Amino acid sequence: MMLDQKMLFDEVRELVTRSCLTISPDAQKLLEQALSKETNETAQSMLKTMLENLKLAQEKNKPVCQSPGFPTVYISFGNTTLPGNIKEAFQTALVEATKAGLMRPSIVHPLTRKNSGDNSGPGVPNFEFDYNPGQDYLEMIISFKGCGAELGNYMEIFTTVKLGKDLAGLKKKIVETIVNAGGKPCPPFVVGIGIGGQMDVACKLSRKAVSTRRWDDENPDELYGSLEKELLEQINSLGIGAAGTGGDTTALAVKIEGASTHTAIAPVAINFHCWPARRAGIRLYPDGKKEIIF
Amino acid sequence: MSEKILSIPLQEKEIRELKVGDVVYLQGVIYTARDMAHLRMRDYLEEGKELPVSLEGAAIFHAGPVVKEKENSYDLVVIGPTTSIRMEPYSQMICEKGVRAIIGKGGMAEGSMKAFAKYGCVYLQAAPGCAVKIAEDVEEIENVYWLELGVPEAMWLLKTPKFGPLVVAMDSHGSSIYQNIKKEALEKIAIKYGE
Repeated sequence: MMLDQKMLFDEVRELVTRSCLTISPDAQKLLEQALSKETNETAQSMLKTMLENLKLAQEKNKPVCQSPGFPTVYISFGNTTLPGNIKEAFQTALVEATKAGLMRPSIVHPLTRKNSGDNSGPGVPNFEFDYNPGQDYLEMIISFKGCGAELGNYMEIFTTVKLGKDLAGLKKKIVETIVNAGGKPCPPFVVGIGIGGQMDVACKLSRKAVSTRRWDDENPDELYGSLEKELLEQINSLGIGAAGTGGDTTALAVKIEGASTHTAIAPVAINFHCWPARRAGIRLYPDGKKEIIF
Repeated sequence: MSEKILSIPLQEKEIRELKVGDVVYLQGVIYTARDMAHLRMRDYLEEGKELPVSLEGAAIFHAGPVVKEKENSYDLVVIGPTTSIRMEPYSQMICEKGVRAIIGKGGMAEGSMKAFAKYGCVYLQAAPGCAVKIAEDVEEIENVYWLELGVPEAMWLLKTPKFGPLVVAMDSHGSSIYQNIKKEALEKIAIKYGE
């Protein structure tokens, strides 16, 4: 059974528009908390400007950030909620939003660097599909992740010995990666860490972690959950701060997603998300019911 | 912490007076340039061709705007800083040509530090991800060059009565906020995990 296609196109357009003009509420809440406990004067001023920018964007109906980043769409569905022509729905919505001035045309050929002019192109947006036969809703999350942040990303195939005693080798590499990235990924950022599978799996999990989870959630896995807390505390003791010019909050959250891997390896991908969490997600049911995720 | 409004074209003396941590505002016409505009400037200079703008006393903004096209002009929708480290290879070239301020985010590296000290230039950190707020400071788009490079990569001339606040994050005296923070952070990591 397939969901009503006109409704689907309308919902997709709404998701794209919303993620241009706002950031997800969980991210805004964490930013406000960061400002309330910040002690560095420059960082206070930066955080205030960020919050003011969000308010202005809503008032003036303008995009929160000049860069749309790169869009990935997460779709999950079941037998009663087949997504149908969902690829076309998102591709069309991106081009429309670009024409409407909600999004800068920023998509280029990877080698010639020629700009398509309307954010269309092979592989844009990137889609990640997940099929669960019994799932009685269609879930769609679009996430625009800034690309300056990509410059700080890191991937390594760890081994048992490199993970180290009490994972000290892994933790050290993660905090070093944060220091090397410094102010480049628009701090206060969120760090997504994908662990397991092979290289491709770890990388996809690292993006999924920052794009699909609420930034204020708790990891249901005990080990990953405690690692997230420990790493966040360590990262925020480094002094990098909002905008990278010093301060108490460098990261708003750390999100870890894992998969089993082969006994010879432990692939790890570290993925930065800039503070503007331009994303929106919804669940649609066959009877027309809707649930907003963020 | 001092707070100053500086007019473009910027003077070497006033730029050399700035120290890391100072807050400044700029007024005048700012040029945007990212990867492709820098590459093209280099090509032009190597070929001995004249650039469309003078870099003497200039402020370069690492940024690409969202614009709305009108009949003979463009309206600025929003604009904010892009990650500056990508433009690191061009610091010597543009500082030699007279650029006195680079506006961006995330900072630049050793090559830029040397060029800033030698020619008299500063790096100014803008608030990242604050494109609506920053666009409020721009009165109008005065002109655009090299639009065939695409909207983000073209060189946009932005007229501004008061652009900022901008934090002096790298000065002409060999000091960089980013480098200082990095050094301290790496020391903390070394204490916790060993060298």
